Amino acid sequence: MSSKPQALTSIGPMRAFAANSKKIAVELIEINENLLGFNQYITEYYKQLSETWGVAQKKVNQKAPKIPQDVEQIEATKRIWIDIFDNDFTELFDSKKFGENYGNLVSKELELTKHWNNITNVILQSVNLPSKEEVDEVYKEIHSLKKRVSKLELELKKEKRKNAK
Amino acid sequence: MQNESTIDPKIIEEVLKFSRNVIEAPKFVSAPDEINLEVTPHKVVQQIDKTRLLHYKPISGTKHKTPLLISYALINRYHILDIHPEKSWVRNLLEQGFEVYMLDWGTPTSMDKYLDFDDYVNGYLESSVEYIKNQSSTEQISLQGYCTGATIATAYTALYPENVKNYIATAPVIDGWKDTTVISNLAKHMDADKMVETIGNMPPEFMYYCFSVLKPFEQGIEKYVKFFKNIDDKKYVDNFLRVEKWLGDTPPIPGELFKQWIKDIYQENLLIQNKMYVGDELIDLKKIDMPMFTQVAVGDHLVSPECSMPLHYAVGSKDKTLKIYPTGHVGMIASSLSQNSLSQKKVLPEMGAWLAERS
Repeated sequence: MSSKPQALTSIGPMRAFAANSKKIAVELIEINENLLGFNQYITEYYKQLSETWGVAQKKVNQKAPKIPQDVEQIEATKRIWIDIFDNDFTELFDSKKFGENYGNLVSKELELTKHWNNITNVILQSVNLPSKEEVDEVYKEIHSLKKRVSKLELELKKEKRKNAK
Repeated sequence: MQNESTIDPKIIEEVLKFSRNVIEAPKFVSAPDEINLEVTPHKVVQQIDKTRLLHYKPISGTKHKTPLLISYALINRYHILDIHPEKSWVRNLLEQGFEVYMLDWGTPTSMDKYLDFDDYVNGYLESSVEYIKNQSSTEQISLQGYCTGATIATAYTALYPENVKNYIATAPVIDGWKDTTVISNLAKHMDADKMVETIGNMPPEFMYYCFSVLKPFEQGIEKYVKFFKNIDDKKYVDNFLRVEKWLGDTPPIPGELFKQWIKDIYQENLLIQNKMYVGDELIDLKKIDMPMFTQVAVGDHLVSPECSMPLHYAVGSKDKTLKIYPTGHVGMIASSLSQNSLSQKKVLPEMGAWLAERS
């Protein structure tokens, strides 16, 4: 028998605890790796927004260079500001570079959520509760049963209607 | 003095008035719970899972034999079609003598994440049609679909042409590759599989993000500036709050339905190519051979006309009409007074006249 203290984790109630701790540690390491990618895309996201803001503001300055002197001029300047900003930002949101970066950003966020889900699953199972996957299986089964029952009910109604004629 | 700057006293007056309006706004504004969005009296005649089939009480007597079922969109709730007595789509149709039913898709929960196109088309919509046929002793109904509800209605009409006497597609989402909106750009770059696998249903927060990138400055700033400027106008405030309440009430979209939606419509564009499956059945748009009426809006920034119009050319119908209106996605169904009540004065009368001839 080994005298090393870490061998304690391989037997008895500590075994599950050690295995769960390892799973959680792996998830946390992967979360850190994902955060790097997430930060890269979120930086690009705000860079695109701030660049578009800068360009739009320059356009507004060129079109409405004077400080408005009366209510009508304020209204006109506001209209120019809104139109230019809406146009420039719509152009950005409609562009491939925004779509791709936003898609990647959401994807990284989902990966982070997935790791969080995995950690939660480890904890749920350690206290003898069903994991998300197990609950999903039940949902899937219920959905399939409900679908079959609904189809049968509908068929029955149609049949009754046909016979009643 | 020469250096003294002159400020138009009207500017100060405007600023003071605006500040006063902001401070006094709570006195004029109802809490969201105090606003009832269900304007026209109706009965819930059938309930399956979370969906409800509503039957509206006739106003001026039913003049037309064929009942009309409205399949509303999956985003936000059906209330926009009955948001205010003066701009109610439903009320207008009742006044024209139609018998109107509405399918409320309800609010799906985590348990509903496996609901897909098959459930919506062959389940909920088909059950509603069967119910109406049974109740009104007719073999066919008229069907209207709005936005994403029109995509579901289109699939249904192609699968069950024998049940649909007339089909009205209002701003339908059909040709995803031709859609020029920001929504389609986001959808094209989305990993729908990962999204649904990780979070299940599509959460409302994600939808709110998508809406926030549509005309962000007009909708995010100017709209509220106008609201505070008009805070004394009871009618304006009431209308504004109703629409705001409606905008803030978006149910989640069932995961499987959302996934098929994004992939089949926006990414692979299968519907318009007659390659999309609902359950085990292929959707062939040529099978839509009944009279069809398509309504699109030039200024639609949610579903561009280029995305909707291909339906008009793809169906097998000989009797078909395409109407293009100078308004936006919501303006087409619930125009405000500032939009000259286009929906009440033009869109609905034209649709009603077309439908009356064929009902």
